[in-house]
Amino acid sequence: MKQKLLLACISAALVAGLVAGCKPKDGPATGEPVPAWVPFSEVEWFDAGLGGEVVRPVSTGAGNTMEGDTIKIGMIASLSGAEKPWGDESKKGAQLAIDQANEAGGINGKQIELIVEDTGGLPATGKTATERLVSSKKVLAVLGEVASGVTGPSAEVCQSAGVPIISVGSTRTALSNTGNMFFRVCYTDAFQGAMLAKFAYDDLGIKNVAILTDKQLPYSVGLSDDFRAFFTKLGGTVVAEDFYEKGTTDFKGQLTNLKAKNPDGLFCSGYFTEIGPIARQRAAVGLDVPMFGGDGWDSSELLNSGGEGIMGSYYSNHYSNLQDREQVKNFVSTFKAKYGSEPANAMGALGYDAALVLIDALKRAAAMDSASIRDAIATTSGLEAVSGTITIGPDGNAQKAGLILKAEMYDPSKE
Amino acid sequence: MIFAELNWGLLDQQLINGIQLGAIYALIALGYTMVYGVLKLINFAHGEVYMVGAYIAYYTAEQWLDKNSMSPWLLLAVMLLGAMAVCAILGVTIERLAYRPLRGAPRISILITAIGVSLLLQQGGLLIFRTSPQPSISEQVNPFGASNFKNLPILGDLTISWGQAAMFGVSIVLMLLLWWFVSGTKTGRGIRAVSHDFSTASLMGIDVNRMVAITFVIGSALAGAGGMMNATALGTPLDTFYGLLPGVKAFVAAVLGGIGNIPGAVAGGFLMGIAEALVIWMGYSNFKDAVAFVILIAVLLVRPSGLLGSVGQEKA
Repeated sequence: MKQKLLLACISAALVAGLVAGCKPKDGPATGEPVPAWVPFSEVEWFDAGLGGEVVRPVSTGAGNTMEGDTIKIGMIASLSGAEKPWGDESKKGAQLAIDQANEAGGINGKQIELIVEDTGGLPATGKTATERLVSSKKVLAVLGEVASGVTGPSAEVCQSAGVPIISVGSTRTALSNTGNMFFRVCYTDAFQGAMLAKFAYDDLGIKNVAILTDKQLPYSVGLSDDFRAFFTKLGGTVVAEDFYEKGTTDFKGQLTNLKAKNPDGLFCSGYFTEIGPIARQRAAVGLDVPMFGGDGWDSSELLNSGGEGIMGSYYSNHYSNLQDREQVKNFVSTFKAKYGSEPANAMGALGYDAALVLIDALKRAAAMDSASIRDAIATTSGLEAVSGTITIGPDGNAQKAGLILKAEMYDPSKE
Repeated sequence: MIFAELNWGLLDQQLINGIQLGAIYALIALGYTMVYGVLKLINFAHGEVYMVGAYIAYYTAEQWLDKNSMSPWLLLAVMLLGAMAVCAILGVTIERLAYRPLRGAPRISILITAIGVSLLLQQGGLLIFRTSPQPSISEQVNPFGASNFKNLPILGDLTISWGQAAMFGVSIVLMLLLWWFVSGTKTGRGIRAVSHDFSTASLMGIDVNRMVAITFVIGSALAGAGGMMNATALGTPLDTFYGLLPGVKAFVAAVLGGIGNIPGAVAGGFLMGIAEALVIWMGYSNFKDAVAFVILIAVLLVRPSGLLGSVGQEKA
């Protein structure tokens, strides 16, 4: 029996080793066009008038004051769990910005120390992590999270403690109401939904749209609502709407229904995990209309999982590695030099920008305490960041242009 | 009022979609039901075995073998058999290391262990498998591939995609093989005997440990096949939680059909798939999972041991 046990262990270890030892193969040789998300157009920032009135209560918390020799900054990120790909990138981006600031001499000669806590992508863990950063580590400000569901409770903690928080990628509109301590470097779903509606109606000429929503995902439901509201305001018609939930792999039923209503565009507000199979299967039911969606599509893998069905589709993102801006080129090359690979999704750039907004505020802050830093963040204006030119609006949100990407064949040698 | 909205022309197409979906549910449900049959254990790690099957298929197609230079049919066969083999080894290893030492322990202990194994594979898989960016099997691997989009007409306007037709065909072949194995071979008879009465079977000279191991081999291999086919045909990006939802659905299918009963699992799987498609057809796709559970409750109210489960099968 002992031998059998040993055998079982060895075979398990072998399998694990075989899998782990494998390195991804290199991409195709340069000079050969490959499918890529290519920047298509930019939609200038505008006030969509969605999402209701923003009420920002003023924090009564005392905040933290600098102690010791370093400026302590906290960060919450999902370094484990299902949202790890985004958490990892946001941390890498923020760390890069802070390392660069430190190499350039820090803030008035003081070095910045980034303390990262894992949220596991869970709201409760995120809340505890934020409490630990704010009360025991005494950080002056917090960066993160990516997911709105985790940012919500964490921002409440920061609001009551009087410590500013800059969210990396949480687009849920209502987060602005948390209070005067909450900021973000990404746009809100209200802006994203309106911007996509404008793009679809004006630029793509879509008048009758079908909507496919992940009803288990508040992000997707919210984005679909904002899109619908602005699209009908522009004069368009939503001819059909169908639903699925995260983890679904077979969408032919929903797509068969949508096709029967003859839409001339398909809006999918969910995450990329489900968008790939939807793109493959929509062709199977003959739904050959332009497909478009929001920043939940952001993953280099979508081009593979979507196959031919994703080509010619559009989505709105915060950033692209291929953008022709100096800040982007510098960011991509320094990121690659430090971590060995290009940023895998937009959270690297947004993590970098969140840190950049904070560093900019630290330089302008009257004193090294939470309240002064908050005031400096709130007056950020025209900061040339990676994801665009950032001005923080009165609602704490970054006002910057939205970027539309299109899936096309791209020749890397033409750079 | 509800019926006025219905598009009757789509009903047949949606039924076909439902039958395809049901075949995969049935394949996974068989693993739950067989393990429950012999051990009276809900193997919560079963969905994770399915996930590993999908990953093995991915690594075989995209990294271990050169998809550009070999015959797509051979590649698909290697992916399917490889996923089944690795899952079989994984299943039997889980049984040997986690469940067999607890054979005499209270059933709740082994149930908790099953949940533990499930979590271990989900979280431990993050260390072993590539999850960032989430990998998916490219369309070109599928020889139905570019013509994945071309449909096979069945009758009139009715169509089924080649990939889905192949998935359905392989599932049916595997189920028929299983049926032959369980009802027609000596080992199959042994498994049925263990399932009927564990301790008496062991008194009759049946090597129960071997039968349990074989059950895990078969159940896990079927899950591996399901994982490979779904990942290949649909192109879903993989992560280590890939088996969570299919696992839950297949578990419901197994209970619906009468857990422990093999034809029951197949019937439950098809029923779930068709019910889901019909709910979508009626325009209530946001309730499709709720409906699955409503059907489960309704069936269990009338037949507490499931559709085909025998009354009194559960021994105190």
